[in-house]
Amino acid sequence: MRGIQLSFSNTQKLRLEKALAQLESISSKVNSNATVIVADTIPVDEDAALKGHGTLEMGKNVIATVCGVVERVNKLVYVRSLRARYKPEIGDIIVGRVIEVAPKRWRLEINFSQDAVLMLSSMNLPDGIQRRRTAVDELNMRSIFVESDVICAEVRGFQHDGSLHLQARSQKYGKLERGKLLKIPPYLVKRRKQHFHHLDQYGVDLIFGCNGFIWVGEHVDVKDAMVEDQVNKPDPQNTNSASLLGSSEEPTYTPLETRQYICRIANAIAVFSALSFMVNLEAVMETVTLSLSLNLGVHEMLEAEFHVQVAEQEAERRGTSSRRK
Amino acid sequence: MGSFKRKSQEFDNTPPSKQLKQNDLLGVACVHDVSYPKRYVPSTSTFTLPKPAKEFPFTLDPFQSEAINCLNNGESVMVSAHTSAGKTVVALYAIAMSLKNNQRVVYTSPIKALSNQKYREFKEEFSDVGLMTGDVTIDPNASCLVMTTEIWRSMQYKGSEVTREVAWVIFDEVHYMRDRERGVVWEESIVMAPKNSRFVFLSATVPNAKEFADWVAKVHQQPCHIVYTDYRPTPLQHYIFPSGGDGLYMVVDDKGKFREDSFQKALNALVPANEGDKKRENGKWQKGLIVGKSGEDSDIFKMVKMIIQRQYDPVICFSFSKRECELLAMQMAKMDLNNDDEKVNIETIFWSAMDMLSDDDKKLPQVSNMLPLLKRGIGVHHSGLLPILKEVIEILFQEGFIKCLFATETFSIGLNMPAKTVVFTNVRKFDGDKFRWISSGEYIQMSGRAGRRGIDERGICILMVDEKLEPSTAKFMLKGSADALNSAFHLSYNMLLNQIRSEDGHPENLLRNSFYQFQADHALPDLEKQAKILEEERNSIVIEEEDSLERYYNLLEQYKSLKRDVRDIVFSPKYCLPFLQPGRLVCIECTKVDVDVPTFSIEDDVTWGVIVNFERVKGLSEDDANKKPEDANYTIDVLTRCIVQKDEVGRKAIKIVRLKDAGEPAVVSLPLSQIHSLSSVRLVIPKDRLPSEVRENTLVKISEVLNRFAKQGMPILLPEDDMKVQSSSYRKASNRIEALESLFEEYEIAKSPFIKEKLKVLHKKKELTSKIKSIKRAMRTSTALAFKDELKARKRALRRLGCITRDDFVETKGKVACEISSADELTLTELMFNGTFTELKVEEMVSLLSCFVWQEKLQDARKPREELELLFAQLQDTARKVAKVQLESKVQIDVENFVSSFRPDIMEAVYAWAKGSKFYEIMEMTPVFEGSLIRAIRRLEEVLQQLIQAAKSIGDIVLEAKFEEAVAKIKRDIVFAASLYL
Repeated sequence: MRGIQLSFSNTQKLRLEKALAQLESISSKVNSNATVIVADTIPVDEDAALKGHGTLEMGKNVIATVCGVVERVNKLVYVRSLRARYKPEIGDIIVGRVIEVAPKRWRLEINFSQDAVLMLSSMNLPDGIQRRRTAVDELNMRSIFVESDVICAEVRGFQHDGSLHLQARSQKYGKLERGKLLKIPPYLVKRRKQHFHHLDQYGVDLIFGCNGFIWVGEHVDVKDAMVEDQVNKPDPQNTNSASLLGSSEEPTYTPLETRQYICRIANAIAVFSALSFMVNLEAVMETVTLSLSLNLGVHEMLEAEFHVQVAEQEAERRGTSSRRK
Repeated sequence: MGSFKRKSQEFDNTPPSKQLKQNDLLGVACVHDVSYPKRYVPSTSTFTLPKPAKEFPFTLDPFQSEAINCLNNGESVMVSAHTSAGKTVVALYAIAMSLKNNQRVVYTSPIKALSNQKYREFKEEFSDVGLMTGDVTIDPNASCLVMTTEIWRSMQYKGSEVTREVAWVIFDEVHYMRDRERGVVWEESIVMAPKNSRFVFLSATVPNAKEFADWVAKVHQQPCHIVYTDYRPTPLQHYIFPSGGDGLYMVVDDKGKFREDSFQKALNALVPANEGDKKRENGKWQKGLIVGKSGEDSDIFKMVKMIIQRQYDPVICFSFSKRECELLAMQMAKMDLNNDDEKVNIETIFWSAMDMLSDDDKKLPQVSNMLPLLKRGIGVHHSGLLPILKEVIEILFQEGFIKCLFATETFSIGLNMPAKTVVFTNVRKFDGDKFRWISSGEYIQMSGRAGRRGIDERGICILMVDEKLEPSTAKFMLKGSADALNSAFHLSYNMLLNQIRSEDGHPENLLRNSFYQFQADHALPDLEKQAKILEEERNSIVIEEEDSLERYYNLLEQYKSLKRDVRDIVFSPKYCLPFLQPGRLVCIECTKVDVDVPTFSIEDDVTWGVIVNFERVKGLSEDDANKKPEDANYTIDVLTRCIVQKDEVGRKAIKIVRLKDAGEPAVVSLPLSQIHSLSSVRLVIPKDRLPSEVRENTLVKISEVLNRFAKQGMPILLPEDDMKVQSSSYRKASNRIEALESLFEEYEIAKSPFIKEKLKVLHKKKELTSKIKSIKRAMRTSTALAFKDELKARKRALRRLGCITRDDFVETKGKVACEISSADELTLTELMFNGTFTELKVEEMVSLLSCFVWQEKLQDARKPREELELLFAQLQDTARKVAKVQLESKVQIDVENFVSSFRPDIMEAVYAWAKGSKFYEIMEMTPVFEGSLIRAIRRLEEVLQQLIQAAKSIGDIVLEAKFEEAVAKIKRDIVFAASLYL
């Protein structure tokens, strides 16, 4: 039952099992017998194979070092691990929480085996002005982020000592405020072109961090008119300037309605995560619509019945999409 | 902004009194203009800095202080001036200002060597300077970073912290943007540059500097100033040296006046090239220049001698090929321009520079042959030299130990290395497919080396002319305007992948902001105007009875095309081959006098000749051999009367004329399509057709035959009866021709005496209409996003190769290709994923990779050994596959061209180098220039570094280690000897 901690009635159990079985039948066609566990030998046809992540050459055999699915691109063989900690790749968008303000850098928890580092120099200053390299800057670091702030950034790369460095490329990266942080298993977030989403109809921003941290928060508008900016998208989050100037100029609060939407979306994601379904924008939106059409209260979304309904809906969705193929 | 009087000039430490008088005559003007972005409100308050960031020990030129004022106001500036004018001052000021404000500044230049030199220059001035080129990295955390533009671009893609801290970006030699291959790098870097930084663009004089500034203002939403000056610190005099003559003729004086009379005198003094064709053998233009007539000194020798006598030294002699450069220097063998003191100095400098080389490398022929030459005050400078030698020569030249330097065009860019005199040994330059005149822009750039500021009163440019040239050509070359700065934008896969990969990146955005798009948008009003003018012109043409005339015209066209169809059928190889025996009389079309004016009569302009032979045309592809004889192309050799002309380049142009006209009898090869009809008459033709009389006699015979049949007409092979043409399409076409012929009778208008003129007018009108159509089409395409279709096609190719997914997510393969920017990314990625590198030994792998970095074509390169040959074949297969995928995705690409762009020429040498051979050993293996080989190996190392990153990203540790081993194996000795400037 995928470890779901809910009390189901008998019928609900049956319905859920049926939906899950249906899903399994669809997916099983895709990767049959490609799953491996640690120390399994991976069949490789030639010597010329490239051994990618999660593999190791032992004598003449190539063996798996993680549990997962064997993937092949031409002659590259690698194992995509299932249910593992987050493994960063350059260019990933992540959401993390500041755990320490250190000299010239912030340390972030990002669900990786070590903490990530965000250098002061990798961070944009409020209003995007060019940094001056002065000591004052370092002293003012706390005015940008303090401990337990939630931040969104991009993985820049590994340093020679193996530490992970982050960067904020543009104004839309930075502090996240007025919202909710969800932690789900990172393998449920698929890497895509877009990880930032602005849900116009709800006035909500949704950021799928590749590390399984998901941010649902009030939409923040751009203040400065950056016309035709190549870096800034139409919906950048100007959180920095908001946070600095905001305290005095914006005594407004997030409207109740928006808060409810935030919770509703968060709960939809929670349901998905509980069912171990891949989380993506379309699925989440559908689930939110479903909950609205069923006239469910926000808290009711976490009850067993809704889980079953979501599973059924998902089975149907994937069924039709796979049939269409 | 007005003109200023130049007060004094102390750029070099010479007393200004000498220049004063002359400079008073010269107005030193500079133009200052500003481009504001739309909706931009310029702040009125120009706050002045309390203290300038940097004081210069000399009075600034107006254009310099103008530019520095802009910097002080914190606004971007584009400085467009001649090389010697002193643009560096502006760059120095920008650096000083940033350092003062604790901000970072980036200086980019197009060439690694130039970056090295600038690094040294800046390092002496400010201490906090770092250098990043593909070869070396020094202190990358410094506040002022000197780098190549490519590095700056990749930094922006990778998102370095520098981009967040850089306040000023200085683009030197920004006119490189028009470079066909690399120009796009500048556009990418400028478009992606941080929005809050300011820019300094230094460029040679470009006429459209304003357009460029407009673009920057638009893309970055900030004002951009233009400071433009034509001013040269030392005025130039231009002379012509006619080949074979013995004097100089001043054609442009130092006030810029063209002297027609002395130009004519110079041309008259030109000794007619008596060797005629021999001189042009092997495409060498300068035979006379190099060899000289027996017993006499060569022109260049005479020239240099004269220059030394007149004390016009030091002199730079530009020529356009590396080999020629060396040959010319060899001519100077008899000359000694240095005294003993200088010789000792040169030797000391030379050996202290060569000290870092190993003993074996010191014995390299290039090294040991160079010293005697240098000691005599003669130098050579081109890209084929060892980098270290090049640098020594630069230093010696700057110190004044080299009096006469033979250089290629590359010497004309970059660091300030002026001479008193500049000589152009050639007025033509080979640009890949033909010899063309030097453009005025190139002339300006190279002549910019003439005249040392503060030392020479004037600079001297000498043009060696070996053929007649029109005054207008010469005027254009000597006095023409600089080349415009035009975009050379093109897409590359690496660029697309990098754009797609980053969350905010959209290739479309880059395209929309490119200078190319900007220029296309700019050209729109022009096109509109053009279309309007043409339309007016068309409407002004009024023709009487236009309708019936037009019908008649259409009829004629139809008739002609039908005739063509019939002829194509009848004279397709299938039918006519059996009749192409030697000796058959054949009716062929005369060559039209003027191709542009079509004939409107029904009668064709034809003549007769006799078939000598026919031949199958050999196609380029090999599968031609499998074609049936019917499908292949054939040419026939026909003996007929022609006028043979030779054009300037020595190509023969043959015009076929009527038998009765004047001309020589000659055998010409014609395609089958030029046959008008075949006669049933055959002549006996003599076997030996070499003597002209024999040919003449044959032609006489033809005329006799023609006369004999003059009354009843030549008996012609009838298509249906004689040639057995049995095709329904033939019959249909010939029926229609008959029908049309009868129709002609009905046209009254055809009988009008002016019918031909009228038709011509109508034809012109039609042409105008089609021109208007094509302009309108051009207008439509430029309003659309440039490169849109190509972008789509390229994305399709990336998808098919599995680099990106349907929804623009970059896959593993794409991530690998992202890392590779110094070689063909797709082919290399494909090779990697096919496991080619995994199987190979390190040396073999390095050798294979050398094909990616070597582009020069060698004629007589030795074939690599079998194992390497096999590898190369594998590479070609992969390349072909990649090219085919691109072609299928509708990317415009010539598959074979692409495949042959990989050259195996240095595989063997690089293999040996990786094995640990000495440099002189590998030089013996290939007939290439030392410098070229070194450059290739250095680039190879760059590619390997990128491959290490790529291997890291797919997680193959073994492969990564292998690449690292390869780097270690090739990175040694003379090839990676550090630059003297560092």
